Amino acid sequence: MDLVQQTLWGWNIAIYLFLGGLGGATVALAILGELRFNMGKWFGIIVSILGMAILAFGLIFLIIDLINPFRFLLAFWIKGIGHSWIARGMIVITGVFIFGPLYALATFFDWPRFKKWMGYIAMFCGFGVTTYTGLLLNANVGIPFWHTPALPVLFTVSAFSTGCALIMLILAAMKSEEAHHFFHFIEGFDIFLISLELLLIFAYFDFARLGNAAVMKSAHLLLNNPLFTIGFVILGLVSPLILEAYASTKEHSKGLAAFASVLVLIGGFLLRYLIVWAGVFQYPHGIAG
Amino acid sequence: MARYGMVMDVTSCLGCRACMAACSQWNQTPFWAEDFKGKWRTRVTELEEGKFPETHKVFFPTICMHCENPPCHSVCPTGATYINKDGIVLIDYDLCLGCGYCIEACPYDARYEYEKEDLEKDEFYFGEDARHHQVHVDKCTFCVDRLAEGIEPSCAATCVGHARIFGDLDDPNSEVAKLVNSGKAKPLSPYLGVHPKVYYIK
Repeated sequence: MDLVQQTLWGWNIAIYLFLGGLGGATVALAILGELRFNMGKWFGIIVSILGMAILAFGLIFLIIDLINPFRFLLAFWIKGIGHSWIARGMIVITGVFIFGPLYALATFFDWPRFKKWMGYIAMFCGFGVTTYTGLLLNANVGIPFWHTPALPVLFTVSAFSTGCALIMLILAAMKSEEAHHFFHFIEGFDIFLISLELLLIFAYFDFARLGNAAVMKSAHLLLNNPLFTIGFVILGLVSPLILEAYASTKEHSKGLAAFASVLVLIGGFLLRYLIVWAGVFQYPHGIAG
Repeated sequence: MARYGMVMDVTSCLGCRACMAACSQWNQTPFWAEDFKGKWRTRVTELEEGKFPETHKVFFPTICMHCENPPCHSVCPTGATYINKDGIVLIDYDLCLGCGYCIEACPYDARYEYEKEDLEKDEFYFGEDARHHQVHVDKCTFCVDRLAEGIEPSCAATCVGHARIFGDLDDPNSEVAKLVNSGKAKPLSPYLGVHPKVYYIK
């Protein structure tokens, strides 16, 4: 077997995967906060627009990664919808940009029924964006490290964790009683998500230990990269978990949780970049080289 | 309607690489690329087999496997990658977004990007006969244009050692069908479940 590390997808794709997941989760959590946690209409409008802006900014990186960026409009020619995750991704992304603004509009003019429905559909599309990024990599059968059912789960959990981190940063600056209540909900949710992410990472490497040569090579690359072990696992997962768990037991500890949020955001980006970087093709004997 | 396939007889390959030359001339693939960047529709790799001192050299020809269940087709968002009536996996250049998803999805390293500088070189070398006019992802087509005229793909037609045997897998009297049905020729990485239509005799 020839093991070849993929080089076609790099920084641009990793930045998009990170910002796409962050944007999608932010839209979903902003609407959740407004609809279910009485965060007020301006929170719903501003934070959901922020999420859409992050997603739109991420899309720029996707477009400049094309061989000819001017052909990006062809992405709307979604004939491969029945089987391609890029085509399906285009649908949910477009959904966010249609139903997100409609939700914001309905919230602004205070149309309760319309707002609720648009909000739920936009939340679903936001969730779809966080999920499809993992499924996108999952479809590459030639790279066994990506071609596992755990990857979409890992990316979705990580996307919502980064979304929670961003929402916590915003809420830390707010004083109202509702903000305080929502902050503690998001903090608890993030602690759960980070714990789940740690379990998934552990499962990933336990799987790689007995996996085929390409999976082992990918795991080996990651474990020997300090950006992964120290950057992602220790600074991006374990540290924020400890900090948030500690902060959740104290009354006035929003600063600490906000600091943990920054670590989660850095960790979320590192995870995307490193998983993409560590993709190793397993070509049959003689194909590569 | 046919089901075209190819058998690579690795034991007969001389390693002359006439197939690579013929293919790149006929299909105008980027033979001009510096450091050869791997932009070939077909390649012949040199391998060392066995353990010292019992080693020998093997030439290993590869092309697109024209899978029955191609991952490149299933990931293509625009439907640019399609399978024609003869089971050949092709690309509609007008629809190719250039996202590279298919290149990542191919487990046989059969695809590459035909970039802007390649278009310029194509026009420089072939002038009015240049066949590539927009950036796209490129791969082997089994020389579908030659098949339409009733001639073999250029790599098989030029092969000195009869290492590339082309034909219809559905025709039980064809040489390829006989080699495949007898079990003498086998596909690469069958565990992937993509069902390649290129088989190897090793």
